[in-house]
Amino acid sequence: MKGTAFLATAAFCAAASGALAQDFPDGPITWVVNWPAGGGQDTTSRLVAERLTDVLGVPVVVENYDGAGGLTGMRELAGAEPDGYTIGMLGASSIIQQYTTDEPVMLDQLSVLSFFGPDPGALTVAGSTDFASLDDYLASVKEAPGEIPNGNDPPGGASYISAAIMESALGLELNKIPYAGYAPTVTALLGGEVQSATVPVPQVLEHHAAGDVKILGVMAGERHFLAPDIPTFAEQGYDVVAGDFRAVVGPAGIPEDRAAVLSEALVAVLSSEEFVSAANAAGYMIEPLGAEEAGARIASFDEQVYPVLEEAGLVTNPK
Amino acid sequence: MIDLLAAMLASLTDPVLLGLSFAGVVLGLVFGALPGVSSTMALAVVLPFTYGMETPAAMMLMLAVFFASVYAGSVSAILLNIPGTPGAMFTLLDGHAMARKGQAAQAMAYALIASILGGVVGWVLLVALAPVIAAYALNFGSPEYAAVVFFGLALVAYASSGDTLRGLAAGVIGLLVGVVGRDKVTDVPRFTFGTADLQGGIDIIPLAIGVFGIAEALNMLSRRQDAATAVPASSGPTWPSWRALMPELPTVLRSSAIGTFVGAIPAAGSAVAVALAYAVEKRLSKRPETFGTGLPRGVVAPEAANNACVGGALIPMMTLGIPGDSITAVLIGVLLLHGLRPGPGLFESQPDLILTIYAALFVAIVLTALVAATLGISVYRRILAIPHRLLLSAVLVLCVLGAFSVRNATVDVWVAIFFGGVGFAFLRLGIPVLPLAFGAVLGPLLEDNLRRTLMIHGDPWVFFERPISLVLVVVSLAVLLVPTVTSAILNLRRERQ
Repeated sequence: MKGTAFLATAAFCAAASGALAQDFPDGPITWVVNWPAGGGQDTTSRLVAERLTDVLGVPVVVENYDGAGGLTGMRELAGAEPDGYTIGMLGASSIIQQYTTDEPVMLDQLSVLSFFGPDPGALTVAGSTDFASLDDYLASVKEAPGEIPNGNDPPGGASYISAAIMESALGLELNKIPYAGYAPTVTALLGGEVQSATVPVPQVLEHHAAGDVKILGVMAGERHFLAPDIPTFAEQGYDVVAGDFRAVVGPAGIPEDRAAVLSEALVAVLSSEEFVSAANAAGYMIEPLGAEEAGARIASFDEQVYPVLEEAGLVTNPK
Repeated sequence: MIDLLAAMLASLTDPVLLGLSFAGVVLGLVFGALPGVSSTMALAVVLPFTYGMETPAAMMLMLAVFFASVYAGSVSAILLNIPGTPGAMFTLLDGHAMARKGQAAQAMAYALIASILGGVVGWVLLVALAPVIAAYALNFGSPEYAAVVFFGLALVAYASSGDTLRGLAAGVIGLLVGVVGRDKVTDVPRFTFGTADLQGGIDIIPLAIGVFGIAEALNMLSRRQDAATAVPASSGPTWPSWRALMPELPTVLRSSAIGTFVGAIPAAGSAVAVALAYAVEKRLSKRPETFGTGLPRGVVAPEAANNACVGGALIPMMTLGIPGDSITAVLIGVLLLHGLRPGPGLFESQPDLILTIYAALFVAIVLTALVAATLGISVYRRILAIPHRLLLSAVLVLCVLGAFSVRNATVDVWVAIFFGGVGFAFLRLGIPVLPLAFGAVLGPLLEDNLRRTLMIHGDPWVFFERPISLVLVVVSLAVLLVPTVTSAILNLRRERQ
């Protein structure tokens, strides 16, 4: 069943690529991951790369780059020959870094191929606290501005930005405590060192189910498929939409026909039922979008996040 | 218990699972022995092969690679003086010294025995104490981390007592190296010299490759006629006698316990475990000055600790869904790819898988022992037959490759070469390089946790209000002050007489 679905997509894509660019691709494609092996960026990349190999008929090889908060990998990607043989995964943090680092990779150095999906932020409180609802929590934060410790990434990271977007949208002030990534943040939440955290849903779902933490709201337009019983912020009367997202990009200047081949193949993989169920099982929301729509989504995130960064005093490389 | 035995029997009698474990062990032994190829990378290389496998088969393969590569990290430490993995950073002190005395094979034998025993102790503690240790690990907040790092630094200061001032100077330079990069609280770049390459900080592996590997190779190559510093071929029996081995058993047990507990503390990692194990053994020894001169105990302690860490690191991974280090982060990735979310629910929803993981680790330990003992040491031993100038040149090439391959970054090659120069200068000036590496590892940990503690709790008294940090701080102060105070009292008495 998996095989036939793939054969069908492969045949479709072979036909499509045959029409568009006779001999692309005819060699291995490098997939740049700008974070080390094992993280979300890596897991999602490998899920796609493995299936993209089947669809394109050439090996898609994942290469991990680590360092400078993901910037090393982005530089590698943006600096690669724009021949369609180097592509990679883009996350929200790379959009933020445009304005917070000295030698950033700007969005116009990349060409967007497809959207992967959103990874909405959520507000989760520790089991040791007695916040019963989002209203409760927000009332407490307003009573003691800057007192309630919230676990998040270091400044500029996705969950830091989620917290900052919430602060600016609702006029709050949290005590934002930086941890090196989601795993230590969740540990601190479980241990009660921080009272709340703004990490995405999959990171806290299991602990929520076990009753050790409580997810109070999801920062998205709709509920998270893994936690359909948890209302969004909007449903509870607060207009907060924040979180990470993923998209597939290459260096700017990939010839149009090649970009189209890649973009179509990516959307085919991302839309396949088998892929969606595998990605969902691993906790990832999938929203396959072609190059144009993906570009629009990224641009709107870009516009949303800039004022927040400015307000937080993080902008060192102004627009 | 009976379930566990049944699961172990099932995996030992299943030819496919056994074959996968064997393949994993061989791959782990090869990858781990290559300088710069860490266990994390070894797992990342094997990862794609697990996509099509059933979950038990995938865990069988991954845990075999994991365990075998942790042991094999000692090989390049002993033979080449390069710590392939952070966990082998202390093995090279006595391991390479033994190799230079013509006891490379013996050092590897000690490392293997200690690794296997450490692995078994870690495994037993994993099976027996998983839920208990998991609950304890959560009590480890930022104040406790800060205190345990303070304890580690106190032990280093003690361990380098032979040359206190120079040791401290090197340690402070190490701490300064640790502050390079973006400040985690305010996001301000520090000491990056205007280059974005240093914004992520200086990675510890290229630094260690530089100060230990490159510096040592340069030092040996620069002495033209001095063949005595080369690694001579081993002579005498490879395996230690029972009489030689028995006194090491308490060391194995202590170090394994340290390894398991430190491994279970999320994000503490094997580098901290081996440092603590080594320092504790040196502290307890009647002749601490013999450490670093090729003492088997100096190999046994870190090797037992880093392999016990494997079992320890699996504890928070399986019970809390928290990776103990970067290696278990990859393992969590494997489970996620199979649609399994590690965490408290795993024990209830997938009891069979938990048993399979226990069995997989046990089989990996047994196979590593068999393969390494029968084939490994004799193959590794042949490396020594290579002429020493050729070997050292190869070492330099491997150092550069290793530094690059840690995270595919050119900046790491420059970091390794720079610290190779620094280390070479240190060696010539008689300044110990170990505190430098130590400061660089522990500095960021201390700073992050200290600052978080102060951000959350507001005042430093919190260290004395929490039981775990109180004990750690008091013990650290004792380690620092007792030798000074006792010698002062002795001096006073002498003066009176």
